[in-house]
Amino acid sequence: MDEIIHLRIDGRDVAVAAPASILQAAMADGTALTANVGCMGQGVCGACRCLVRREGEKQIATALACETRAEAAMQVSFIVYFTPDKPHRYDIAAIQDLWQLSDAVDRHFPEAAHCRHCSGCDRACPKGLSVQQGVALSVAGDFAAAAAIFEQCVMCNLCTLACPEGIWPNHLGLMVRRAIAALTLRPSDLIRRLNEIERGAMTPDATEKE
Amino acid sequence: MQPLNHVLLHPAIQVGADLNRWRNAGGGVGLIMAASQPAAIIPTLQAADLRGMGGAGFPTWRKWTAAAAMVAETKYVVCNGNEDEPGTFKDRHLLRWTPHQVIEGALIAAIAIKASHVIFYVNPHQADSIAEMRAAVAQWQGSDLLAGLEPIIGQPVKLEVIASSGRYIGGEETAVVSWLNQGFPFPSRKPPFPFEKGVGGQPTLINNTETLANVPHILNNGADWYRALGKGEACGTKLYSLSGDVLNPGLYELPMGTSLRDLVFTYGGGMLDGRAFKAVFTGGPSNTLLTARDLDVALDFDSVRARQSRLGTGAMIVMSEGTSIVRKVADYVEFFATGSCGQCPSCKCGTFQMARLLDRIATGRGTAADVGALDHLCALLPGSGRCALIDGAVTVVKSALQTFPEEYQRPAAAGGAPKANQQT
Repeated sequence: MDEIIHLRIDGRDVAVAAPASILQAAMADGTALTANVGCMGQGVCGACRCLVRREGEKQIATALACETRAEAAMQVSFIVYFTPDKPHRYDIAAIQDLWQLSDAVDRHFPEAAHCRHCSGCDRACPKGLSVQQGVALSVAGDFAAAAAIFEQCVMCNLCTLACPEGIWPNHLGLMVRRAIAALTLRPSDLIRRLNEIERGAMTPDATEKE
Repeated sequence: MQPLNHVLLHPAIQVGADLNRWRNAGGGVGLIMAASQPAAIIPTLQAADLRGMGGAGFPTWRKWTAAAAMVAETKYVVCNGNEDEPGTFKDRHLLRWTPHQVIEGALIAAIAIKASHVIFYVNPHQADSIAEMRAAVAQWQGSDLLAGLEPIIGQPVKLEVIASSGRYIGGEETAVVSWLNQGFPFPSRKPPFPFEKGVGGQPTLINNTETLANVPHILNNGADWYRALGKGEACGTKLYSLSGDVLNPGLYELPMGTSLRDLVFTYGGGMLDGRAFKAVFTGGPSNTLLTARDLDVALDFDSVRARQSRLGTGAMIVMSEGTSIVRKVADYVEFFATGSCGQCPSCKCGTFQMARLLDRIATGRGTAADVGALDHLCALLPGSGRCALIDGAVTVVKSALQTFPEEYQRPAAAGGAPKANQQT
């Protein structure tokens, strides 16, 4: 028989058969989740960000509810969705090389150079990314390495809450990821396949199935 | 009528940065007495039962004894004038109008613990206070009083005014140390306490401005005189920052232990427009609310604590009937969310989440589920931070939820389906 565990989510007492994720537990009593839910368990959208306190622990961790296993006597509080105070508007196509990217980073994220290295963003990241290092690499101009760090970022925005200098690390990471992708040459086999599709020698799978 | 403004705010000593006028008004006597009998300083403060006026109410003599017992070549005294919390405006007044009173208190502390460095850590947002302190400190340089301390302390005393970061969190004592060590004002875990390892890694005594301002008077007039100033068991006087819906808001120096009723209705002139008294947010405002049934409470550290609240800085923000408690709490929690340094995810994210929930409830968009989530955060968050910021924010939310539940339920009931976890 499955073990039934009891936990508390946003003030609701919830019982769920283990094993289950926190997100599954939140839905276990039939409550309709109209917020803090997105990709439903794939860990790619960042919508189910939450604070988690485990039984007997003083510390509270940040987590994605879909990727964290529900435990007995766990306390969970979901964190609402929010957007940046100011939008970061840029045209990736206008960035022609890494020098221009460096200028663009300074222009759109001037706060990034003021990082205090407090590791608040690292602690806040539910994906366990080295956010602070990603910011430092971006400021130093090592964009490829920075982009690699932010590769797994799901834009949950928790690092932005943590920053005392008001840096938006994930948005900086997104810009760097986009620019690096735009500036990097595609692999030759990818280019060849795209050419084949363009001249009709190869049809995309989706079309083929029709 | 109880005596008003007769020690720290006595009109005769509000002379600004004018050392001669300060000395003519009786200034300097406490320092000379302290210098003549250094060993008597701490016992006198103990007998006077002087408490930390920054909010904690911790016995000052204990802090000084701990710092004095440390063996080190260099020690620091820091006067904490970072004052930044809503509704508190006492230290800025002391620094602006009685800078020499504060300097004298800090120098007595330097004698007591044998410190060679005295730093006045002042909030840069209070431009007048910091300018006056700089002018006042300049007058002490080369004065006979300061030079006379060298043989007692064993080395020359260096006075310095340093602008704080101006951030709320910068007033926490480990954050003070961090800032003075050229870092960001991040609080750190204790121990080590600043008296063990503070500025430059050296023993550092950090006291609130009002606490230090009291010291010369106690040395000058004696512990018995100080004790007699208070009402009942309480000792000395207290600066109360009275604001909100009262007729005469302002800074009042009254006997420690003056009742809330006297402060609001006698000195504050009563409620604005004759409205009914509703509640008071006390100094922080990170404490349990006082309500009409607490009007008789004596405003001293122990009596207010007996009501499960805290005197804090002595700030009293008075609310009248018709004012939304939820709105005020939402504003204060927003202040804490902004002021949180971000080191501890639970504090930054927790205060942020509470602020968002409160804002929804205050604007009629909240649901019963939001109130439940808010209540749950009050149970989840306490004790999870390095400093007490998160605990203070939770205290005011929890208190308002318990004291004025109908204000939370009313808009929530008008909101969406009770079970829906609606978020915008």
